[in-house]
Amino acid sequence: MSKALMQLSGLSKRYPEGDTERVVLDGCDLDIRQGEALAIVGPSGSGKSTLLNLIGAMEVPDQGALWFASEDLARLSERARTLFRRRHLGFIFQQLNLVPTLTVLENLLLPLELNGTLDADGRRHALALLERVGLQGRDASFPEHLSGGERQRVAVARALVHGPGLLLADEPTGSLDRETASVVLGLFDELRREQGMTAVLATHASEVAAKADRSLELRAGRLQEVAPA
Amino acid sequence: MLRRASLRYHLRQPWQAALAVLGVALGVAVVVAVQLANTSAERAFQRSAEALQGEATHRVSAGTAGLDEALYTELRRAGIRPCAPVVAGYVNAPGGDPLRLLGVDPWAELGVRDAVASAALEVDAGRWLSRGGMAVLFKPEAERLGLGAGDLLPVEAGGRRHELEVAAVADPPDELTAEGLRNTVVVDLATAQAVLGRLGRLDRIDLVIPDGEAGAAVLEQVKARLPEGAVLKEAGEGAAALDEMTAAFRLNLTAFSLLALLVGALLIYNAVSFSVVQRRPLLGRLRALGVARGQLFRGIVAEGVLLGTLGTLAGLPLGFALADLLLDLVTRTISDLYFVLSVRSVTPAPGVLAMAAALGVLVSGVASAGPAWEAATVSPRTALERASLEAKARRLAGPLGIAGLALGGLGAALLWGYGGGIVAGFAGIFALLVGAALIVPWAVRQLAVALARPAGALVGTPGRMAARGVASGLSRSGVAAVALVVAVTAVIGVSVMIDSFRTSLTTWLDSTLSADIYVRAPAQTGETPPPLPEGLAAELAAVPGVTGVGTSRRLRAPSEYGEIRLRAFDHGPEGDAGIVYKDRTAQAWADYRAGEAVYITEPFAAHHGLAVGDTVAFRTPEGERRMPVAAVVRDYATSQGAVYVSRTFYAESWGDGVINGVAVYAEPGADLEALIGALRQAAQGQGQALQFRSDAEIRARSLAVFDRTFAVTRVLQLLAAIVAAAGVFGALLALALERTGEVAVLRALGLTPWQVWGLELSRTGLLGLMAGVLAVPPGLLLAAALTGVINERAFGWSLQLSVDPALLAKAVALAAVAALVAGLYPAYRAARVAPAEAMREDG
Repeated sequence: MSKALMQLSGLSKRYPEGDTERVVLDGCDLDIRQGEALAIVGPSGSGKSTLLNLIGAMEVPDQGALWFASEDLARLSERARTLFRRRHLGFIFQQLNLVPTLTVLENLLLPLELNGTLDADGRRHALALLERVGLQGRDASFPEHLSGGERQRVAVARALVHGPGLLLADEPTGSLDRETASVVLGLFDELRREQGMTAVLATHASEVAAKADRSLELRAGRLQEVAPA
Repeated sequence: MLRRASLRYHLRQPWQAALAVLGVALGVAVVVAVQLANTSAERAFQRSAEALQGEATHRVSAGTAGLDEALYTELRRAGIRPCAPVVAGYVNAPGGDPLRLLGVDPWAELGVRDAVASAALEVDAGRWLSRGGMAVLFKPEAERLGLGAGDLLPVEAGGRRHELEVAAVADPPDELTAEGLRNTVVVDLATAQAVLGRLGRLDRIDLVIPDGEAGAAVLEQVKARLPEGAVLKEAGEGAAALDEMTAAFRLNLTAFSLLALLVGALLIYNAVSFSVVQRRPLLGRLRALGVARGQLFRGIVAEGVLLGTLGTLAGLPLGFALADLLLDLVTRTISDLYFVLSVRSVTPAPGVLAMAAALGVLVSGVASAGPAWEAATVSPRTALERASLEAKARRLAGPLGIAGLALGGLGAALLWGYGGGIVAGFAGIFALLVGAALIVPWAVRQLAVALARPAGALVGTPGRMAARGVASGLSRSGVAAVALVVAVTAVIGVSVMIDSFRTSLTTWLDSTLSADIYVRAPAQTGETPPPLPEGLAAELAAVPGVTGVGTSRRLRAPSEYGEIRLRAFDHGPEGDAGIVYKDRTAQAWADYRAGEAVYITEPFAAHHGLAVGDTVAFRTPEGERRMPVAAVVRDYATSQGAVYVSRTFYAESWGDGVINGVAVYAEPGADLEALIGALRQAAQGQGQALQFRSDAEIRARSLAVFDRTFAVTRVLQLLAAIVAAAGVFGALLALALERTGEVAVLRALGLTPWQVWGLELSRTGLLGLMAGVLAVPPGLLLAAALTGVINERAFGWSLQLSVDPALLAKAVALAAVAALVAGLYPAYRAARVAPAEAMREDG
């Protein structure tokens, strides 16, 4: 068994709801293994996005720890968490993926620029990735001129461009039709495997979960392993 | 049900609704304040004019020279009654408060001004006849001055002090009379003549002439007895002329208040269109459920009207409070420039409030019609995305820009292509402003697109994103830019106009104040300064250090254009060096000096349509004199205009040697302070306190009056800018809210909150900078219109347009800073956007 890239232990998260609190995560434990594709499944409102937010250092848990290398993300400052996301994570969201005021290529170059690694090689790499996702020649287009499937393909390329250690995808095909979703998902899986990247996908689509190495179901705030079909 | 949904929506977006309400409230408040200040000043003036006119239908007068009192006796002997002689003028009460001294014959007042008659007749007839120096005060004035019957009232007029004895304190018969006779002291004719230095003269004789044939016969009788130089006119004419004097000034203020309301309307537009954009999916579903287009349209317009009504309701009391501040500025300006006016409080005018309320609601309805149409055309099948809305905004920007150009062209035609009146001038300015506003979204987009590359080269991706963000959020940034451009255009236009006016005035003062020291007796604004003692000029000329003197006589004289201001100059050793010519004949100065021609000032030429070569007829004691106009000269002393005549012509026609001003020329390098001391010494013993002012002091005082005059304009300009800043704030906040998702993605990708701050502030700063730059051309056009067209049409002054580049730079910087300040809170909100918001909401 490969070693864990990230370890979640006793993770809890509650949100105020009127005068009471809603427990979304209730002591979750999880090892995210290096190089695996892990699907988090569960019905709407089960807390998949919350778990992804915690893994992505976008929120901090009320209790528990998230170990990445030798650091507990839960104890990092806001700035340190921002830098962590910038260096180590790649994101694919359901809808709000691309920056509308940047061209396709500029969207790809943004993570490189933020990390201070934008140079001629980086630019070549970005163009190569665009070609891989089938969008060669569209580098100067703005997102509003792309179809939903094309936008998600750009999002996949952008998530990979700076070689992050962990990819997070929140319903990556949720806004696409079945056929387009299949193309995007195939591309995502292929590129991820080529670059040996770890991925966590939150989804309630069975075909997305089926592409994963492992599936966990989030139910009543806890994670349970789902047996392969 | 739809109404309930709409109400709940606005309750959930209280800041947006509050900003819209604030915008309309401020706009309405400014309109109410200006109109109330104007009507209060006008009403106080009217009341005073009515109280002083009483029942009089006609009036005999002869300008400053006045009438021989023998005329009154002659008219009474001829059986012409009621017939009331009047000597009136201003005196200073202790503390410098101006009081109107009304000298009357108490018995002749019966049937003309009964209130004055009954007040005067509270004093024993014997006392009136046996003792001079007695005065009757009305109760409010007596209380204000803390005086009662038997007390002494010291007054000062024309540099001489007098003591009046309060013989009685009278109750005004009603409120209106009390208001009209405010600041009035009633004295007998002889006392008024002594105090005001008009012995044997009357200012006017008021008559009550019946209508019809009998009246016509009486008028003929009066006319037959009038001496040369005297005129008979209807009693209301004088008041109407004075009222007309200030009309242009009041119209200017009204135009400014409407500008504030226009900017307020932009806020309503912004709020309603934002609410429509946010609810597009809901509106689409409502359409799918069977809600008709008309219903949606009416619903959205009703929302705008509701916001406008709330704003109007808040604006009315706010305007009332603001009117107090403006009233002081307006009254002071009228008193500085036109005539003494005393207004103690704002008069509630239901008409003004109703007009402002209707305007507030109407403007809100009109401003929300556009967004309402947008809502009504939402497709029931698909709720348009924000991107397609922006695409639509971009498509519209071009045609709107063309419409703006056309409207701007129409404005320019109204201003420069066709010689209409001042209302046409303001209509031209309005068209120019709206035209410029329509061009702004297109221009902002072009500029932002053009700037994206250099901004990217300069500061990398954030710079590119800032520039493109302005271009891509055109439906929001366009509105913010329009609000800013309109306000900054007004700031540039008005500031350049004021600057040009000040420069023209300074240049004129520099030329015209060619003497070193000016001597005159003190007088109230609009009053002719009292005569100076005979021989004073010669005495002053003999003072060591004086190289020469010039004299002037200022008076009002009857002419074919009614009573006009006449200036008779003996120009002294400098000749016409102090005169700034606009147009003249080759022989102008020679003809003028010889008394064969006159000069007219620019405003006089403009008001009466006169030019060099035309003639002006005067009614002088020597009969009618028609004189050619040899020159049109610049003169910013009075907007009503004046005629300059040489001392030779004056002496021939009026036959007196009266002077009321002496200009003293000093030896080069003389110590003016010391010389003023020596001149005072020489003038002592005349029993008249005189004002000795150096040219520098007159220049400083003139510029101080100038600055006070424009204080009210600056206040209104500031208010319009505040409304615009609120508009920018609203638009930027809306933009920030709409971009929450985009910011969340950036945060997730690793942008720090400070980088988000930087990005947002770059965007708003850039927007402000662009709005500032875009406001320069219309601002300069507005300045050209205000200086070259409005001033000329309203006052007759031609001003030299002078543009200080530093002023333009300041205006552009002001726009950028205003946008940055308005963008602080939206940027703060954006920086606080949690990266987690990029995740879907239902997880």
